[in-house]
Amino acid sequence: MPAWHRVATEAELKLETPLGVRIGDVQIAVVRLPDGIYAINDVCTHEYALLSEGFCEDGKLECPLHQACFDIRTGRALNEPAELPVASYRTKVEGGAVFVEV
Amino acid sequence: MRVVIVGAGQAGRRCAEALRGLDAAAEILLLGDEMHLPYDRPPLSKAVLLGTDPGHGLFARDGAYYAEQQIALRTGTRVVAIDPATRTVETAGGERIAADHVVIATGARARTLTVPGSGDPRVVTLRTLDDARALRARLADRPRLAVIGGGLIGLEVAASARQLGCAVTVLEAAERVMARCVPPSISNRFAALHRGHGVILHLGHALRAIEPGADGALSLHAGDVQVTADLVVVGIGGVPATALAAAAALSVQDGIVTDAQGRTSPPHIYAAGEVARLPHPFWGGRPTRLEAWQVAQNQPVAVAQAICGEDAPYDEVPWHWTDQFGWNLQVLGDPDPQLRLVERSEGERLTAIALDLAGRARGAVLINNGRDATPCRRLIAGGKALDASMLADASVPLRALL
Repeated sequence: MPAWHRVATEAELKLETPLGVRIGDVQIAVVRLPDGIYAINDVCTHEYALLSEGFCEDGKLECPLHQACFDIRTGRALNEPAELPVASYRTKVEGGAVFVEV
Repeated sequence: MRVVIVGAGQAGRRCAEALRGLDAAAEILLLGDEMHLPYDRPPLSKAVLLGTDPGHGLFARDGAYYAEQQIALRTGTRVVAIDPATRTVETAGGERIAADHVVIATGARARTLTVPGSGDPRVVTLRTLDDARALRARLADRPRLAVIGGGLIGLEVAASARQLGCAVTVLEAAERVMARCVPPSISNRFAALHRGHGVILHLGHALRAIEPGADGALSLHAGDVQVTADLVVVGIGGVPATALAAAAALSVQDGIVTDAQGRTSPPHIYAAGEVARLPHPFWGGRPTRLEAWQVAQNQPVAVAQAICGEDAPYDEVPWHWTDQFGWNLQVLGDPDPQLRLVERSEGERLTAIALDLAGRARGAVLINNGRDATPCRRLIAGGKALDASMLADASVPLRALL
């Protein structure tokens, strides 16, 4: 069953500055965009790399290794070398804390 | 409109895909001499040798994709002649295929050694998937491996083989590794990385001869160094596969000479990917042949646009990467060793930016710092004079300097 996990305080998440977190075995990139906080799987679907270590802009997160881009809001792969999307997760903010549902 | 693409590697595939995107009705034939579906080459020297899953699967698209896209992919089909006048290609099976446009996407082959003893079957190169699988099988016996050439491929093979438990010696003729693509300070870091992992690295040692060794092994001679090896991998660069073009009397000068969008001199004949030598705006329009995933990925799109009558010269800031022993190196533009190199580092991460005399970024080298790639590319493309002291301050985000 999916459950909500506290991953950060709201203040820790700066605009377009990804935060890499781990919930059990799942690595997640949490990103604040102008319209809300989003969470996607942190591992590039091309080769192993953490997207949270990549460049973030315009709602896209770029893999630091080979520059595949993913849509932070949906997880969709936007350009090669990645083809497959990353999973996306629901988020919520409660009492100044950010939660991700995994 | 019928387009025949000669070569079903990454460039041929990308040209076919882009054509389909631009013209739903075009008849597209993609002819490849290998038996495999089109694949990208970067995993060959790494994931394929290591036997780890390259993640997305080795093949960029599965077989069904080509059928869905109505791209007539024919593997195992070698083209033996191209007639530019009639825009006809002839296959090894004797079939003649006429087209409205012919794209030559034959790529490059591995440069081979010429020193005495090079013909021994234990001296191999790495260019194709079959090469990589054969090499993987040989590495399973943990041979003593000698790698000729301390460039990208040589060092990637050395790292993979070392990770598989082989004893590895690299012979490099230049005084430093990756001398063609990074400045000395970066070469030194990678030399130290390899030595730290137990690779024996002989710099400034050009191979002179390969002879039979005492125990049935090979004996390599490079100046004052003698290396005993069971297997030799040669990684000394690529040679453009221009034989078909030359036989068709196209202009060939270390690559097929084209305009900025891959058009050769006879009409309706194009060159796509690593085989093309095109005037590149990054080098002031100087004819340039690039060998990298990036050029195979994106230049063929410009060719497809040319075929469809669109004006879209290929003008990307050059970019390539290598992965060795868990380090990721990315090179953008031209970090010429003659330029002033400004380094900014945060712990293990490094970004080094090469500035010209006017203070404009001409190139950048990133070690484990890929998040700087896009800002660096924009700094290079922007051509703005930069404040070197701010650039050197890692606490100033690069995007603040754009």
